[in-house]
Amino acid sequence: MTSLLIRRVLLMVPTLWVIATLTFFMIHAAPGGPFQSEREIPEAAKQQLNAKYGLDRPLGEQYVSFLIHAVRFDFGPSYKFPARQVREIILEALPVSAELAGWALLLALVFGVPFGVLAAVKQNQRLDYAAMGAALAGVSVPNFVLGPALVLGLSLTLFLFPPALWQGPMSRVLPVATLATAYVAYIARLTRAGMLEVLRQDYIRTARAKGLSERAVVFKHALKLGILPVVSYLGPAAARVVMGSIVIETIFSVPGLGRYLVNAAFNRDYTLVMGEVLFYATMLMVLNLIIDVAYTRLDPRVEAA
Amino acid sequence: MRSAGCRGLLYCLRVMRTSLVFFFAALAFGGCAPARQASLEPASARARYFGDTTPPAENVLTFNLGAEPEMFDPSVAVGQPDGRVCRILFEGLTREDPRTLEPLPGQAYRWDITPDGLTYTFHLRPHLTWSDGRPITADDFRWSWLRVLRPETASRYAGLIFPIVNAEAYNKGMIHDERLVGIEATDDSTLTVRLAAPTAYFLYLTQFYTCLPVPRWAIEKHGNRWTRPENIVCNGPFRLAWWRQNDHFEFVRNPRYWDAAHVKLDRIMAYPVEDLNTSTNLYKAGVFDWNPSGYIPSQFIPYLRDYADFRHGNYQGIYFYSINVTRKPLDNPWVRRALNYAVDREAIANDLLKRSRDPWGNFTPSGYPGYTHPPAITFDPAKARECLARAGYPGGKGFPKISILFNTSEDHRRIAEAIQAMWKRELSIDVELSNQEWGSYLQATSALQYDVARRSWIGDYLDPNTFLACYVTGDGNNRTGWSNPRYDALIRSAAVELDAEKRLAILRDAEALLLEEGPVIPIYHYSTNELVKPYVRGIYQTPLDIHPLTYVWIDRQWQHRASEPPVATAIPARARREHGR
Repeated sequence: MTSLLIRRVLLMVPTLWVIATLTFFMIHAAPGGPFQSEREIPEAAKQQLNAKYGLDRPLGEQYVSFLIHAVRFDFGPSYKFPARQVREIILEALPVSAELAGWALLLALVFGVPFGVLAAVKQNQRLDYAAMGAALAGVSVPNFVLGPALVLGLSLTLFLFPPALWQGPMSRVLPVATLATAYVAYIARLTRAGMLEVLRQDYIRTARAKGLSERAVVFKHALKLGILPVVSYLGPAAARVVMGSIVIETIFSVPGLGRYLVNAAFNRDYTLVMGEVLFYATMLMVLNLIIDVAYTRLDPRVEAA
Repeated sequence: MRSAGCRGLLYCLRVMRTSLVFFFAALAFGGCAPARQASLEPASARARYFGDTTPPAENVLTFNLGAEPEMFDPSVAVGQPDGRVCRILFEGLTREDPRTLEPLPGQAYRWDITPDGLTYTFHLRPHLTWSDGRPITADDFRWSWLRVLRPETASRYAGLIFPIVNAEAYNKGMIHDERLVGIEATDDSTLTVRLAAPTAYFLYLTQFYTCLPVPRWAIEKHGNRWTRPENIVCNGPFRLAWWRQNDHFEFVRNPRYWDAAHVKLDRIMAYPVEDLNTSTNLYKAGVFDWNPSGYIPSQFIPYLRDYADFRHGNYQGIYFYSINVTRKPLDNPWVRRALNYAVDREAIANDLLKRSRDPWGNFTPSGYPGYTHPPAITFDPAKARECLARAGYPGGKGFPKISILFNTSEDHRRIAEAIQAMWKRELSIDVELSNQEWGSYLQATSALQYDVARRSWIGDYLDPNTFLACYVTGDGNNRTGWSNPRYDALIRSAAVELDAEKRLAILRDAEALLLEEGPVIPIYHYSTNELVKPYVRGIYQTPLDIHPLTYVWIDRQWQHRASEPPVATAIPARARREHGR
């Protein structure tokens, strides 16, 4: 177990280095730079700005200096928001994104797993069709359709929730619901598929033959294995929910991480792009590692090697 | 200046969403006067309002800032959100009249101008203090303006105050002694500014955010972190109480402001909501009291026209196509004229944009006091074909393929497609469209890597010079490669002309020359389209889309008043008496 952890953590280093290097040279290769605008910036000012941020040095030198600082999670100030450090921006936006993601994932599990189990147990019955039909709709409706539809119905017509912004518990409802829907649906489908697979296996037959109640068979024996696909899906899902809710953050004006990522790339805000990309990559890898560890706990057949 | 419609987050997303929301909105707008408003009767009986009209319980104004400001340090601020925040927190020597934007006495209660128009002496009000209690002196202004000019500040707007003696030389590092710059604090309450040439619009500059005073000690102590809420010191009607990036700003009344007694708002809440649909939703739901211009999806505008809280007006901006005159065949003025005459501006503004913009064939916008435009370029297919023939391409024969460059956006694409079709129809020439994302597009236009490019220009002050000065030889905003000695001479002579009428006549000649030579194809005149709740008093439609919020107030009796009551405080009688010499 420990050796697995150590090996995986060590493997993260070269992976991060490759990601950092590719991103660094790609963003610098994009046309333009951080100090350009529709209104011309005077040449003298441009030179001053470039000198101030070290952009006048050779790219290789900038790269080395970036790597040295990145190791300490220090990316310097954002070019677009020069009064703020990139680290500061990320750490300030992270709790918001994490909260949004946390609620959405919780909702996804709380509704997705039971629906999936129910559908599997009642396979090819009316309940199964209803649950899977709803899940198919949930997966298919994109969040940029669902979000405005919810706003129109629940906020602008029924006045139940504020249409956007991140203030007070009521403002969480619509963004969380919009973000969670697709995950509820996907987890329900994954659970159903996993459970169907497991319910046909010999040890389940054995459990039933022993005279265990159906409830015990399903929840004690089948669910433990049937949920594995969901567990492995949770890692990337968690990372995607934290950083990838760009659409939700825009529709609902949530001050999270996702909004920065897209705009930073458009603005050629090199430092902010690097900070966000590396942070996202690290998070993705750490979450996957956690999931792998959890896997070995849930399924004894998976070797902790 | 705001880059008109450039900050599209996820282009395709927006296209799909806008059409979708538009569909929903069309369904919803029909029965949209909300139930909560039904009981209101008297003065506003027949007026329909877009959404909730319940005034807030407290004296708070909530509005959309549009985007997170890049920096709200006035000396280096650039964009419109930056400027909005600066104007709430700081006050210059003069400040804008909320209706006309004419300079009113601000921190200076009067000023003298020498007859040659070269020396301005500003007299500060007595007992002015910063929000931390320190006295405001003329030296604060001197230091702040020198800070703008100092090369290491790298202020992008430093060029605005180049009319001051030696300002340009100091900014470009040619002189290093700041005493040579024509800014002098004669005593604690007197600031003397010497100009190199009489600059008709100089007073307008003293209210612009680049010229706002900044607190020297706070900046020396905190560096570029001085604008953080815990460090910032200001001198305007409000101070910064809370800020989280991308979340919101909270401003509270500054009790140390010289006219604090007339400031009625206790707080201002400003949210950087980038999505136009979201912003309009928040307005409809009554969260925002004011949805400023630029934050309403353009497709909504025809529907919103019937609502009493929708305001449409002129905005000092032009949407135009810029022609790269360094490339063949566009180096030929006859080709440029042909392209210009073949654009049907009426069709674009009225049909394509559903009258949300006004067709415009001049390069300077309307509304400059005393300025008459040269004849506008009109749609004239016969003349266009004639020009093209004179250029050596009769009937479009032999005309090489050129391309139109625009930054990725659905509206820009629709206009480019329309123009592509017009040029094909009227001139029989082939044009291809090319779109690039914002950063690449900026790079391409400033490096002259294009044939024809979409551009826009927004005025900084109320004078045609803010448009025409861009096209002098080598100006960074020219971006066409166009150079004309006669044009340069006209702009130079206008700058030193003391007689206002003569000066505007010279500028008119310059504009006529610019249109005649055709490095630009004006297309439409920008408009302001904003939503203001009926209970918000003191926000007016202005041509620069600048809105001083100092005397704005919440009118809880709004439905009993037919129109806005005279706002005694908007132009304090005291200030009026003190105005001028």
